[in-house]
Formats: sequence, structure tokens, C-alpha cells
Amino acid sequence: MAGTVLVAFVICAPLSSLVIWSFARRWSWPHPFPQELGLFYWRKVLEGDLLRALQSGFLIAVVVTAATLVLTVPLAYLLARYPVPFKAAILLVFLLPHAFPQLPVFVNATTLLYRVNLAASFSGVVLIHMVGALVYAVWTMTAVFRSIPESLEEAAWNLGASRLKTFVTVALPLATPGLVASTLLVFLYSLDEFTGTLLVGSPFVLTLPVYMYRTSVGYELQVASIAALILMLPGLVLLVVLERYLKSEYLSMFGRL
Amino acid sequence: MAAPSLAIVVWLFFVPFLSSAHLSFLRDGQWSLQNYALVWRLYKIDVVYTLGISLVSLGLVIGIAALVCGYLRIVGHRSVEFLFKVPLFVPFVVVGHGMRVLLAPRGTLNSALAQVGVVDLSDPPSIAFTWIGIVISLVWKNLALAVLLVLGAYRAVDEAFLEAARNMGASTFRQIRDILLPISAPSLVVASAFMFTSMLASFSVPLMIGGGEPPHMLMVDVYYRINYQDDLGTANALGVVSYLFAMGVAGYYLRTITVRPP
Amino acid sequence: MDVRVEGLVKRYGRVTALDGVSIGFASGGLTAILGPSGCGKTTLLRSLAGFVVVDGGRIVFGTEDVTALSPQARGTAMVFQHYALWPHMTVFDNVAYGLRLRKLPDADVRRRVEKILDLVEIGRLSGVMQRRPAELSGGQQQRVALARALVVEPRVLLMDEPLSNLDAKVRQRLRAEVRRLQKAVGITAVYVTHDQEEALAIADTVVLMNAGRVVQAGSPQEIYSSPESAFAAEFLGVSNQLAGIAAADGVSVGSQRLPYAGPVRGRATLIFRATDASLAAGDGGAAPEQALLRGVLEERLFLGSVYRHYVRVEGETVMVDGAEPVEPGPVTLRVPVAKLQVYAA
Repeated sequence: MAGTVLVAFVICAPLSSLVIWSFARRWSWPHPFPQELGLFYWRKVLEGDLLRALQSGFLIAVVVTAATLVLTVPLAYLLARYPVPFKAAILLVFLLPHAFPQLPVFVNATTLLYRVNLAASFSGVVLIHMVGALVYAVWTMTAVFRSIPESLEEAAWNLGASRLKTFVTVALPLATPGLVASTLLVFLYSLDEFTGTLLVGSPFVLTLPVYMYRTSVGYELQVASIAALILMLPGLVLLVVLERYLKSEYLSMFGRL
Repeated sequence: MAAPSLAIVVWLFFVPFLSSAHLSFLRDGQWSLQNYALVWRLYKIDVVYTLGISLVSLGLVIGIAALVCGYLRIVGHRSVEFLFKVPLFVPFVVVGHGMRVLLAPRGTLNSALAQVGVVDLSDPPSIAFTWIGIVISLVWKNLALAVLLVLGAYRAVDEAFLEAARNMGASTFRQIRDILLPISAPSLVVASAFMFTSMLASFSVPLMIGGGEPPHMLMVDVYYRINYQDDLGTANALGVVSYLFAMGVAGYYLRTITVRPP
Repeated sequence: MDVRVEGLVKRYGRVTALDGVSIGFASGGLTAILGPSGCGKTTLLRSLAGFVVVDGGRIVFGTEDVTALSPQARGTAMVFQHYALWPHMTVFDNVAYGLRLRKLPDADVRRRVEKILDLVEIGRLSGVMQRRPAELSGGQQQRVALARALVVEPRVLLMDEPLSNLDAKVRQRLRAEVRRLQKAVGITAVYVTHDQEEALAIADTVVLMNAGRVVQAGSPQEIYSSPESAFAAEFLGVSNQLAGIAAADGVSVGSQRLPYAGPVRGRATLIFRATDASLAAGDGGAAPEQALLRGVLEERLFLGSVYRHYVRVEGETVMVDGAEPVEPGPVTLRVPVAKLQVYAA
């Protein structure tokens, strides 16, 4: 019992501070609680830049997720089922962006994007997000397709279905839970992405993480806390949803060729 | 079929990755070792600082996870297990801001402790903006992943092994130490390698929590070098140093898993 | 040490695994718990070890009620079905683990481990103590598991189908080993198995269980030759079952009549063993103290030591074992009346 309370405290302490700050109208040291609570800042914030950042970040996440899935699903199916040449090398390519520090790489990537006029643009940010998103998606979806017994597809071929038809009517439906997990993971990754957006997006393209960072170091603590809470919401929804879908076998595929 | 995905990753990760090496040897358009000399002169303390913070954080994360997961595996506790999943879904930037608000000299933790009389109001300790704040943030966030991976590894250990130990008289702690840990050691090494590399490369957290004064973690140094001094050469030299550390860790991990007989 | 369980009850949701089980385990004896899958024998063994917490009843070791004790505190030692030898420890460390937990000095630990490995007849194997379990054969691993259990001198030795994972030949040899060791050490042992031949071979007492209850308990000879229920009769030996109607002057199976002098009336189950019956081709005459059945021999299998004949009698197929083969066709089946068990259906 005491253990649970301790753990709950440790986990919730930073998060609860955010909640309190978001409802604080006036709060000065050293009161343990705000002197004045209110929705003042919520109203102020939703009328201004935060809303812009939220919309733009959301839109980017949607585009990134759609593009990533379209590109990844067929590729993952091929990698799972067929002896693709250089398969090991390809899977390694899709592992390295998470094995090496991203910042210096993205610094140089920004220069490359600048040369093709994509820096500080919506598309540039989408592309930089996809670098990381593709990694998650390829590994998760390959594991998902591998976990579908080949005999189920063989039965369809045996009865005369073409490969494409089998893929659409057998493999894809069976892969749905994994597909859902992948979608949510990629969406969340894009929504939360900070490093790439900070470098590539500045100064015109703003997402919620960058907005939150700016307001936090600018000591607009209520605004930053509200942004932080909004940013956390999709994550918590995903936590509850994935309690059903998150199989550790997907995670264990990371790093195992 | 593979082309577009590969193209994006190659163009926006591999090419810039490789050009780091190239650019680090350029200064004012000339081939030069000046950048590395600068790194040695200005940043060697930061390198040690970064390694130190990462090692301390890793040690804490693995130590806590090894014990906590042992109790979760043997005794079981569903609400604690659920609570430990929460930080997985909290983005690093939010962790940064949350810890700022919590641990700042005039943050919520200090004011709560002041009510109980533990903290002196006129001279509150500053946990945020120091290496302790960074360690706490990294541990808080990475503990969730560690618990997930370690618990998965512990659960793969046959229950009969634990029952045999219990039968011989082993307490829960002995079961963790003598049975669970040695058998899951390979998985723990993988998890450690992964987390250590990510801690070395952390950016948003030290940016928000690290404080203005040196030393800084390496990624913050790269950012400042580019943002405030427009010095692509040294920034990339720092980048190359960080890649070497990452490769070192990967090499160690590969050696550990291939030394064992299959 | 005498061990007793009284009125043990264990439920898993709607399933009752143990339904009021009471058994006495004689000190120094080997008691086999025998029964089909799901009869509760493994649950009973694990309750003795403390891995299962019972919902009702008592477990007594000697004079001590141990029902509430944790597995660590019970002082039992279990030999697991899949040995559960720790793969990351050497044979020596495996066997020494229990002793080291008891904080014995190193010299004593070494002495006792060497002695027990000799007792299980694996001490001579070169370098055995430094080997890992994966380097040993199944039979060797089982000896090490036995050694690990015996070295701590437990109050009760618990064995959970320890030989079922081994090849048939190795199993035959190790059966005698297990019995020899148990007698040499003189420890109270509880041995769970679903193999009735094994139970009869090694036990001093056999306890037959079904659906969470004790069906019959006694010496192997008693249980085998005087089964008290159709279940017991059918479970032990290679048995045949026929449906019949019992009356005062005999028991009828279909259109045939057999001599019967017992108390059962009405619908009945007849049970006899394949080895107790004999076959003759064609129409055999009656013989004293023998029951006669007419049937058709359909199939014959050669099992090495006997021929097993499959005979169709009144719509049912029965098995008759014999050293000499009989040709398919009409046959007469003879069973000594004493070996024909009749139970109420």
C-alpha cells in the first residue's frame, strides 16, 4: 500500500503541478497553492497562438501518419514474407535513426532542406518527422505481418485468390490491431516531435511542443502548462487504448533483425 | 516499393549523418583540425558531464527497474504496473516543463516542503537547473520503458525456476538476485544499451532544465554552437564525438551478445 | 515424519480441484497419487509444497499444522516434472543452493553435495559438478534434481511426475533408482503420476484420485486385485468394459449369460483385464469357474511380449492378450469368474 502511494506520488508529481499551474490565475512564491484560480489563461490561450500551433501540429501529424502508413505497409509486408535482397541492410537502415543522436544530423538536414527551399515550410517539417516515423512503422508493421501464420494466406492462394487479393482480404484485416497500434504510435510521435521541428520549422511552422518550449523558457508558466496538458492528452488516450493492443512482442522486435 | 521510404531516410538521415564527418573537418572552407581542437579545449568537460549524467541515470533506472519488476513479477501489483506506464506517453518536452515547474527554486515541490518546514524559504535549494534535475527527469521518463522491457524479460523466465528457489527457502529478494537477474541479463544489457544511447543524445530535457551556466550536455552545446555562433564546423565535430560514443555502446552490445555460445 | 491432509478444499472459480481430500502419508513410505489429468493430484502436491493456498482443510507435518506457512518455511523439497534446474548455474551450485541459503560453511556444503551426488550415482561422471544442466542428458538432469531435493534433508519429498519427460527405457531404469534412493534415505515421499504401471511398481501405498476426490487407497496389490469401483477397476491394468444386466442367477451381456453370485442388481458394468482372459478358436466348451463369452476376433496386433487380440462381443470390442496368436474368426473368450468384476452402472 505504501509502495503504491509512493509510486503514485513520484509519477504524478510533475504532472499534477502542470494541472495546478494551468488553473492558476495568480500564484506567487511561497504559497503552496495559487492565490487565485480560474480559467482565465485557458480562455486567453485558446484565442491566440496556441490554437494556431495546435492546429498546425495536428495537421502535420495527420499528413505524416497517412504518408508513413501508405509507404510502410506494403514494404513491411514484403519484408515479412519475401526474401528481399539486402533485407538485413534495409532493416538496419530503418533502425539507425534511433540509434544515433538526432540533433546534429537534423542540423545538417536543415541545410539540405534549405537548399531545396523546404526549410521553414510545412512540407519540410512533414519530411523531417517521417524520418523517425518510418522507423517505428517499418519495425512494428513487419513484426505484425510476421506474426500472421503464413498458412492462412497459403489457404487463400490454394483456393485461387491472387496475391493482391489475399493481401487485401486476409493479411490486412488480420493485421488490424497492429495497424491501429502503428497508426497511434506514429501519430503521437509526430505530435510530440521537438528537435526536428525546432530546427526545420523555425520560424514559420509552429507545433505545440515548440510553442510549449518557448512559453516555458519565457516564464509564461500558465500558458506553457496548458500547452503541456493539451499535449499530454493524446498520449494518455493512447495509453488507455494500447493497454489492449500493446504486446511486448512488438517492442521486442526492436533491434532484432 | 521500398524506394520512397528508403529515399527519405537516406536523404534526410544518412546523407546529413555522413556530412557531419565531412563538415567537421572544414573551417572557413578549408580542411582543418581546428574544430576538434576547439572541442577539446572548450567541451571536454561537457563530454565527461554528459557521460556522467547518462551513467548515473542509467544506473538508477536499471537498479530501480530490476528491483521493482522483481516484486511485480513475483508478488504482482496491477495499479503500480499501470502507473509505471504513464511516463511512456508523456513527451520529453512536457517532462522538461513539468520538472521545471516542480523542481525550480520557487517550484511546487519546494513550496510544498516549505509548508512542512523541510525547506528554508529564504534560500530554497535549486534542483532544477542542475545536473540533479536532469537526472531526475531522465530517470522519470526512462523508468517507464525500463519497467516495460525488464518486466517482459522477467515474465519470460519459467515459473518453475522461481518455485524451485522458493521451495529451497529463497526470499523474494533472493529470487530476484539469484534467478531473475542472471537469467534475464542479456535482455537487460540490450535495454541498457538502448537507453544509454538515448540519454547521451537527450536534447529537449537538458535544454529546458539544464540551466544557463556550463557545463551543458553535448546536444545543447551543438544547438548553441549553431544557433548563437553559426559555427557549423565545431557543431558537427561535437556531433561526430557523440556518434562515436553511440557506436561504442553499440559495439559493446554486439560483442556481449556474440560472445555467448549459441 | 508422518504427514496428513484433512479435508482439503481448493476451488478455481467454478471448478473444484480438491473436494474434501483426507489422506495419511506414512512416515518413511512412498505414497503414489494416481489419477487421470484434472483429478487434482498435482493440486494436492502443490498444496503440500505451499505453492497452492487451500480454501479449506489442514495440512499437518508430524504434529505441526503447516497450512498457513509459506513455501519457503515448509521444509519440503520438490522434484519438478521438467527438473527446473537453474540453467545459469553449474550442477554444484544447483545442488548447493538450498544449503547455502541455510548459511552452512563452505566445507560442509562441499562435503554434502559430493555425498549426495554419489548417492544418486552421478558423482563418478567426470567434471560433473562444473557442468551446466544443458550439458547433461534427461536422466542425468533428473538425478541432479533429486540430489538437489535430498541434500537439504527435507521433511517431505514431493515428486511431480518426475519421469514423464524421459524416454521409455530411461524411465524403466530410473523407477527402480527412485525407489532405492527413497528407501536408503528413509524419507516420507509423495509421488504424483498418471502412469498406473509406474505407481504400482514403486509405491508402498497407492492413492487413486478422480475429480478432486480420493476413490480408493491401499497397497498396490490391493488396489489392483480388489478395485472397489468401476473407475478403479478400469483405470488399473489394461481393462475391458461391457454393459450388462445383473440378476440373482447371473449377469447377462446382450444375449449371453455369465455366472454371477454378487449383490448387484439391474444395470451393471462388467470389467475384466486383457491379461486375465484367454481365447480359443471356434466354439469352446464350458470350464469350471470360468465365464464364457462368444465373439468374433477382428484384429490382432503384435506387441513384442504378447499378441493383443481385438474381439467383438455383443457390439463392443474387448482386448485379450496372449502369448500365442489366434486366427481371426469366431472365438470363445474365457475369464475366471474371480477376475470378473461387476459394478452397478
